[in-house]
Amino acid sequence: MKDLIFLTYSEIKTKLNDGSLKSKDLVSAYIKRIETVDSKVKAFLEINKDHILKQAEESDTRRKSGKLLSEFDGIPIGIKDNICITGEITSCSSKILENFRSPYDASVIQKLKDKGFVLFPRLNMDEFAMGSSTENSAFQTTRNPFDTNRIPGGSSGGSAAVVAGSMLPISLGSDTGGSIRQPAALCGIWGLKPTYGRISRYGLIAYASSLDQIGPFSNDLQGISDLLEIISGLDHKDQTTAKVNPFEANSVSSVEWKGKKIGIMKAEEFNFSTDVNKRYTDILKELESKGAILVPLDFSLLKYAIPVYYLIATAECSSNLSRFDGIRYGLRKEGSGKLDDLYSESRTQGFGPEVKRRILLGTFSLSSGYYDAYYGKAQKARVLIRKQYAEFFKSVDIIFQPTSPTTAFKVGEKTKDPIQMYQADILTTSVNLAGVPAISCPAGVDSTGLPIGLQITSSHFDETKLLSFAKSVSELDICKITLPNEIT
Amino acid sequence: MDEKELKNIANLAKLNIEEAEVSSMLSDFSRIVQYVDEIKNLDTSSVGDDEIYEQIFYELRKDLAENGLKRDDLAKIAPLYENGYVVVPKVIET
Repeated sequence: MKDLIFLTYSEIKTKLNDGSLKSKDLVSAYIKRIETVDSKVKAFLEINKDHILKQAEESDTRRKSGKLLSEFDGIPIGIKDNICITGEITSCSSKILENFRSPYDASVIQKLKDKGFVLFPRLNMDEFAMGSSTENSAFQTTRNPFDTNRIPGGSSGGSAAVVAGSMLPISLGSDTGGSIRQPAALCGIWGLKPTYGRISRYGLIAYASSLDQIGPFSNDLQGISDLLEIISGLDHKDQTTAKVNPFEANSVSSVEWKGKKIGIMKAEEFNFSTDVNKRYTDILKELESKGAILVPLDFSLLKYAIPVYYLIATAECSSNLSRFDGIRYGLRKEGSGKLDDLYSESRTQGFGPEVKRRILLGTFSLSSGYYDAYYGKAQKARVLIRKQYAEFFKSVDIIFQPTSPTTAFKVGEKTKDPIQMYQADILTTSVNLAGVPAISCPAGVDSTGLPIGLQITSSHFDETKLLSFAKSVSELDICKITLPNEIT
Repeated sequence: MDEKELKNIANLAKLNIEEAEVSSMLSDFSRIVQYVDEIKNLDTSSVGDDEIYEQIFYELRKDLAENGLKRDDLAKIAPLYENGYVVVPKVIET
């Protein structure tokens, strides 16, 4: 039999439900794998082995007694360290929340518990989800399982690396400017940023509230579809969740390429690496040979997406992170005994350099004299970007782009240059600004064996179409990726 | 952006900047501001203020009392807790 840890999500689901696999055996195999390889990958901030095994045993007992909670009962899933779970530490990989234990479950966690999933908490991330490489964690740098000298992407680098490293079949992350899709691409797996409003953000520690969205990673597409159906839906605890028809995983089916209009971009404008450019071109050629119609789109607004994103995201983060003041929970440094000193000492010692940098930029763009020129202007530019996407979807069925302009870069390669680091998200941020859904699909490897990702974008709340195209992409030989057995 | 302005922004954000950090932070910050300045080249005159605040979907909560978190559960995560109250450091400023 195939080693348990190398089973796909779909194989796991089938085997648990036909009785040929016990959750405890599966979870034990993953724990053993984590103990063997995570000292190299550093995806987990913490592993509570006893609690995890207890959840698996309880699932097996339910199965034996015919009281299963769902067809997903006993499936293990990793959780990014910014999604609250009752009684567990949720630190956002920050010193300021190092010892914070959540007194409540995020809505997505409640939904997973209701279905019987086995939760593996505390996947490493860029501090407060700010970063593109998982080098901004206050505790450790996560490594790419394909090459541990390289970054896994960010900010959900831990969530991507556990799946790519075969330490779990599925996980949850969050995506504010590409933080699910970019690490999924660099780690050779599937990662979805759903439509803004599709999934409740209640219990997701906020970075930029108008952009953040929780989403799944998986080692196969079925895991993405199933998780989206489970965790999405209207939630009265989050007033930005949408009143729309629920997504149904069984609505996803392969599309016939013939006659489909695929929006594409001119690659040379965005400094794609040679390998990424070649792979993108080759995929498009193959789709054209199958009858798809390629429609070049004018992405001229894309060059403004990163500046607009950073102005809006940092303005929202300066407001959201003002609650971390040293008074109510988290790190407290009393300083001289004056209130202002307590605030500033706690925040100065609790936040890392990138978080401080973004709080400063946000405070600057919201401050008197600069508001209209920066924050106000960025909001108007965001409207134009939203309108541009709406125009695109009048003439095409779907948009195909590379997810990241390059494959995984080396640890430390971009840490000294914030602008260069921000540009790693050039192809993903506009999607968050527009609020549309997008998925990163595995799209083969470069000449050195590093994964390449293909980003597919559809219109608002059309995840069925998005995942149907993704399913057809999964059937292309040119896009297949094998996850690494050995981690070196 | 100069040193005085950077320190003023830091003060508003309740962050301290050490003297040794000022130079590198100013350099990074100036580069980032220069980078985001690119949006000044974009013509946004066609966008009205109302459009910015348009939200597509809203499920506004009814203003009804609900069971919230239990006081005892919250006490467990408070830095200091005595006799039903969260204790904060004594601050007397004149």
